[in-house]
Amino acid sequence: MNMKKLTLIILLAFSAIVLSACGSNGAALNNWPGLAADAARAYLAAGSFIYAVDLETGREVWRYPAESDSKHIYFATPVLTSDGQLLISSEGSNHAFTSVDPETGKENWIEPFAGAKGAWVASPLVLNETIYAPNTDGFVYVLDMKGAPSRAPIEIGGALWSAPTTDGTNIYVTSLDHQLHIIDPATEFQSDPIDLGGAAPSSPSVAADGVYVGSFASTIEYVQSSGRHEVVAEAANWIWGAPALKSGTLYYADLTGNVYSFDIEKRKQNWGGVKPDGPVVANLLIVGDHIYVATEAGTLVALDPESKVLWEKAVGGKIYTSPVAASDLILVAPYQAEFALAAYDAEGKQAWTFTPAK
Amino acid sequence: MWQTIIIAPMTNLLLWIYDLLGHGPHSFGFAIILFTIVVRAITWPLNASQVKGAQAMQELQNDKEWQDIQKKYAKDREKLAQEQMRIYKVRGINPFASCLPTLIQFPIIIGLYQSITRALASTPLSMLQLARTVYPFQNVENLIPLNSHFLWMDLSRPESIVIFGFGLPTLAVIVALSTYVQSKLTMPASTNPNDQSAAMSGMMTIYMPLMLGWFALNFPSGISVYFIVSNALGILQYAATGRANWRNLLPGANKRLPAKK
Repeated sequence: MNMKKLTLIILLAFSAIVLSACGSNGAALNNWPGLAADAARAYLAAGSFIYAVDLETGREVWRYPAESDSKHIYFATPVLTSDGQLLISSEGSNHAFTSVDPETGKENWIEPFAGAKGAWVASPLVLNETIYAPNTDGFVYVLDMKGAPSRAPIEIGGALWSAPTTDGTNIYVTSLDHQLHIIDPATEFQSDPIDLGGAAPSSPSVAADGVYVGSFASTIEYVQSSGRHEVVAEAANWIWGAPALKSGTLYYADLTGNVYSFDIEKRKQNWGGVKPDGPVVANLLIVGDHIYVATEAGTLVALDPESKVLWEKAVGGKIYTSPVAASDLILVAPYQAEFALAAYDAEGKQAWTFTPAK
Repeated sequence: MWQTIIIAPMTNLLLWIYDLLGHGPHSFGFAIILFTIVVRAITWPLNASQVKGAQAMQELQNDKEWQDIQKKYAKDREKLAQEQMRIYKVRGINPFASCLPTLIQFPIIIGLYQSITRALASTPLSMLQLARTVYPFQNVENLIPLNSHFLWMDLSRPESIVIFGFGLPTLAVIVALSTYVQSKLTMPASTNPNDQSAAMSGMMTIYMPLMLGWFALNFPSGISVYFIVSNALGILQYAATGRANWRNLLPGANKRLPAKK
């Protein structure tokens, strides 16, 4: 074989490798981790595995599955149910939806979902012993607690990226098609969808007789269960994370990095000039009098209700995953950091970090 | 750097065309087709020089003086290289002219692949990247999410048509066939049995369709639409020059021609 032939083959092979490296599987399945916790453990959905991490020690208790499988990729936030299941859903090619025992990590059941055309980005909602699982194919799949489809899927339209929310009566589902859908689970009746003016990637926050929802229209809408709706607050940029509600005040943040406090009753901004060190994608977390803000710059900031910065910690990486409070700890799962999970106490002192063993 | 000069302009151009088309059903597919036409128009002079360069190199392989120096300096590679360079210079041939456009295709293909996956934003992370990529003049709030359906395809996924339970990758077959046809049309006949250039062209005629067919099989079908439209335009471009070698499509058409003096 002469040099020209060799060069040509190397060039073609190199091109194939370059394209393969940024191939459909890799790019489509790249996302930030999902995080949930109960009183004893954190559950981290981070790529090939779900990790259960002991909150006392920060050590791995179990991982699911035992061996990685390219068909199973986990990023959606795991959901704990009242009957002791941990529901996990895969963005992988087989669209698996799985229940595991949170104590042991053993599989209870797995639903391969041959009918679902899309990946599971959103977490499910469990209401009245029924699982409502939104898929990126635009359908909400309805299952019983053993994973069997109990009804026909509910067609919503648009990719569904966020967990449905319930006020106990209705289910509220946001969609990337700019709309909020209100479903009566008893009758499956859907009122006319509400146009939010922009894609809504996060869940609505439940309030009295309705929900507050942010969108890429850079607004917060208040939507009543009747379907009446109005824009109540604005932001300088896209609102990605769900607004947080506490004592008549709505806290939300935008992609510019502004954090806002809005008085619902007086319909006025309390403050909006707080700008930590980067865009905010994660939901704000309120624990007691602390408002926790996690930024893309990898910083966890604790504010008081008057916007005073109580402390801030450089966690590292980029934080897109919503922080979670559990067992007097604030859990943070940074993306592209030295560790996968970190725990801080209410004073900002790091309790432990968790790095999965290879 | 790659992001700024390749992905961002490509993504924004795709989004701009998509917006121009009314961002309804099938618009993203038509945006890719228009995008391909724009890319082909921009690289038209390069492709023309590729055809010209390839033709010149092939003609040179059949030239008596060229064949004579191959024989004369067969054992003196340094002298042979000097003589070859002299002939290139005298006849105004750039030996790399036929390679450059092919090399330029690869960053475009890689950039387009990344632009399509970014524009379609199938995960929250890719949506966030898209938000950082769009230029301020784009009305991206209204455009997102893009409608990825085109004809029977989801442009964000590899294509196949299910018949009797089997997924037939029709686009991958069309990509491979159209690439083969384009390669065969542009490959002139050679008289020289030791013609390395003809051997390379022959190898390209086999490898390129297989490689692009493999890409079409595994990558979002938006890339396949690009390949097919690009190949069709390439065939038209060659046909317009009057140099398309249609006989090459027929089996056993590579008859050896006598050397030119």
